[in-house]
Amino acid sequence: MTATTAAQVAARPTPPSHVKRDIAILATLAIIAWAFLTIDVRLDRLIDLPERLWSLFQRMFLPPDWSYIEVALPAMVASIQMAWIGTLIGAVLSLPLGFFGAKNISSGPVSNAVRVFLNAIRAFPEVVLAVVVFVPIAGLGPVAGALAIGIHSIGTLGKLTAEAIESIDSGPVEAARATGAPTLAVQRWGVLPQVLPEIVAFWLYRFEINLRAAAVLGIVGAGGIGAVLSNTLSYRRFDKAGLAIIVVVIATILIDQISGYVRRRIIEGSDRKAIQAEVFGEPGPDRAGR
Amino acid sequence: MTAATPAVQRPPRPKRSLAVPAGLLGAILITLWAASEQFGIGFDIAAILEDLSKGSLILTEVLQPNFAFFPRTIEPMIETIQMAIIAATIGCAIALPAGFLASRVTAPGRISLAVTRSILNVIRALPDLLYAMVFVTALSIGPLAGILALIFFNIGVGAKLLSETVDAVDRGPIEAADAAGSTHVQMVRTGVFPQVLPNYVAFSLYVFELNIRASTVIGIVGAGGIGNTLNAQMGFFNFNNVGLIILELFILVFVIELISIQLRRRLT
Repeated sequence: MTATTAAQVAARPTPPSHVKRDIAILATLAIIAWAFLTIDVRLDRLIDLPERLWSLFQRMFLPPDWSYIEVALPAMVASIQMAWIGTLIGAVLSLPLGFFGAKNISSGPVSNAVRVFLNAIRAFPEVVLAVVVFVPIAGLGPVAGALAIGIHSIGTLGKLTAEAIESIDSGPVEAARATGAPTLAVQRWGVLPQVLPEIVAFWLYRFEINLRAAAVLGIVGAGGIGAVLSNTLSYRRFDKAGLAIIVVVIATILIDQISGYVRRRIIEGSDRKAIQAEVFGEPGPDRAGR
Repeated sequence: MTAATPAVQRPPRPKRSLAVPAGLLGAILITLWAASEQFGIGFDIAAILEDLSKGSLILTEVLQPNFAFFPRTIEPMIETIQMAIIAATIGCAIALPAGFLASRVTAPGRISLAVTRSILNVIRALPDLLYAMVFVTALSIGPLAGILALIFFNIGVGAKLLSETVDAVDRGPIEAADAAGSTHVQMVRTGVFPQVLPNYVAFSLYVFELNIRASTVIGIVGAGGIGNTLNAQMGFFNFNNVGLIILELFILVFVIELISIQLRRRLT
């Protein structure tokens, strides 16, 4: 009895070393401490922050200027339209780029070049794109905003499309080739039906993100609800700003719910897949088993 | 005839679903409405194509970055990184309990689930820029307003990502913890938390990266960091300097992405 126990104890593997993990944790903590201790911030302002926020809240929402809805609602609609047109531009332009960026469809050098191009587009924030490129082209207004949103969206959408295409089942492609279909027909019948639901779900998810970007673009002259927010806040018309904020919150939540419902109808569990794609840059790992 | 060839019995064709054509028609109608001159934003492709060459005027300047400007970007760049780290730390620390409260699996009750989800929906519905504008109004300009804006932005993103992950955990350890008679908090701590920890760390890194990207936007309203500098240079029409700042941000985001890919690979 004792002999077996001793043998078992002897056979037990040594516990794995935690040194690397501990070093990583310490390094992270050190970086965080550095940021907190060296940033030049007037912390004394924090003391009366709750009081200031409360007074701002009172002036904004107790009560908001309800009559201002005549201005805020059309502005919000313009922002939604800006986001929709922008997403559509991104979708239309990213689809062919996704095919050229997928390693199993196009050749290695082409797909690498397309990937670099997509990453470079992502580096230009919408706000900068609008000011630098699209306001000169389309003038001040929501059209410049829609173009900026559209071009910026190509980066993410193209990458996700390419990755979705790379993980397709090659069977239908081979079947289409075996029938002697020309290249374009192979893509249309062999590839597209496999990836389209997922890609449409990504487009809708991107629309939700772009709706928030459309609000931002207002302050650099792209109109919509962002312009209303920026004007009312800088002229300190807080009751009007309060109403505009209420409009933004309700409209955004409403559209998120509708878009999310449609996405879930298109693919099961699309919330998780979209998030997975957003964070890890690849459609979820659960695809692998398909 | 059918009696003569009973072997070939085809299954009935599935009914054609109306959902796809209806969805397509809806999308087309929304597009026509949104693009129209009268009801929408007045999107005219012909006019845009005509003026396309104007887009290159400033772009050529941006694509020739002025490297002499580099020394003046160091300090605001460091401030941006500090703001991003502080906001990600505090935001993700708050997002941890919020994410557990907002998941069906770990919420202690239906009411707390509904309340947490509603609050998070409102937090997420407001764009980062609006937080920045509100905090700048309340606190005047400076990095503190930017940090607070980013914290709210991070709570929204972090809690959403975490609750979606918690929703999909393996229920086995939870049942085991319940069977062993653990309290709710003990169950979350031992049955769920270890499962989502690698993802949580990955999300935190992602949120940090988002903060660096958001810094351009936050700075435009005066909430500190490199965005302030960027906005000033755009205002002075110094587009060579704008080009340098964009290049720096691109490299910074690229390096952070590389590091977090490495770290995530080890975690999962």
